[in-house]
Amino acid sequence: MSASMSSEVKAEPNLTPLLDVVFQLITFFMLVINFSQDNFDQSVRLPVAGTARPAEEGEKANEDHLVLNVDRDGKLLFNGVAQPLHTAIETIKRESQLVKLNLKAAGLKPDANGGLPTMVILRADKDASCSSVYSLITACQSNGFFKFAMKAMNGQ
Amino acid sequence: MRKKKKLQHEVEVPITPMLDMAFQLLTFFILTYHPAPSEGQFIMNLLPAQPATNLDAKAESESTQNSDLPASVRTMPTLLYASAGGKLGRIVLSNQEQPDLAAFEKQLAQDLQNPDLAFDQALIKFDPDLKYSELIQVVNIFSKLKLTKISFSEMSPEEMSAP
Repeated sequence: MSASMSSEVKAEPNLTPLLDVVFQLITFFMLVINFSQDNFDQSVRLPVAGTARPAEEGEKANEDHLVLNVDRDGKLLFNGVAQPLHTAIETIKRESQLVKLNLKAAGLKPDANGGLPTMVILRADKDASCSSVYSLITACQSNGFFKFAMKAMNGQ
Repeated sequence: MRKKKKLQHEVEVPITPMLDMAFQLLTFFILTYHPAPSEGQFIMNLLPAQPATNLDAKAESESTQNSDLPASVRTMPTLLYASAGGKLGRIVLSNQEQPDLAAFEKQLAQDLQNPDLAFDQALIKFDPDLKYSELIQVVNIFSKLKLTKISFSEMSPEEMSAP
């Protein structure tokens, strides 16, 4: 008799709705999380431009790209290390050689102008000088990178 | 009696371990989630610098890029001079000094609508000391007015010292 009374008092909360909610939250975070933006250095403060259009998902997925983060001193941030111009030029040259090797392995060739299909995503700090950014652009051009996406924050 | 028998056969799946796992997963995603700010971009095809530093040069040199361009098409030159601190100082659009960005935008819109001036591309020459954000402001205006064929060049010391 006393055993049956204790089983009546036992509280068993229904955890199923809680589990449902937690799974929904997990699904949400799984969908919105984006590991591919690891190359985008968040310490770079981009300039603001109203007409900069967002990159489309198709563009992101299909195109090979090289991300160049430029800090406020005009140095290239590559793998988290700030590189002065002469080192940055070497890095760009090395990346260009890698792209050319990949193209060769895939049986492809650069276009008629010697241009590589890789798009250079230029994320320069708003306080960087135009001169330093332009030096990197010319280094890219001389190594066959002609397609550029200059990043800016959306807004007025 | 029949009711008691039924209760004995009831299967209870323990949900607590699954909930623990789910909370761990949720914690992982919350900690690794960094909402990326909304970034836009200006996409450009910048061919290597050509010896077209002369602002009076016509756009025939671009014929390798687009042979459909008529001979009358010219490049709209824009000179950007920096003031102290790398801010935008003077703006010269087609040899006309513009007091500020608003006036520059207005003049540019007028020039683009003028049928006598068949501009369809721009050459932006900038002071090396100019800040990148100031250059982007000007690119933004060109983009707003649907002039997206833009090339860049750095000013020579002679151009910078010119009145």
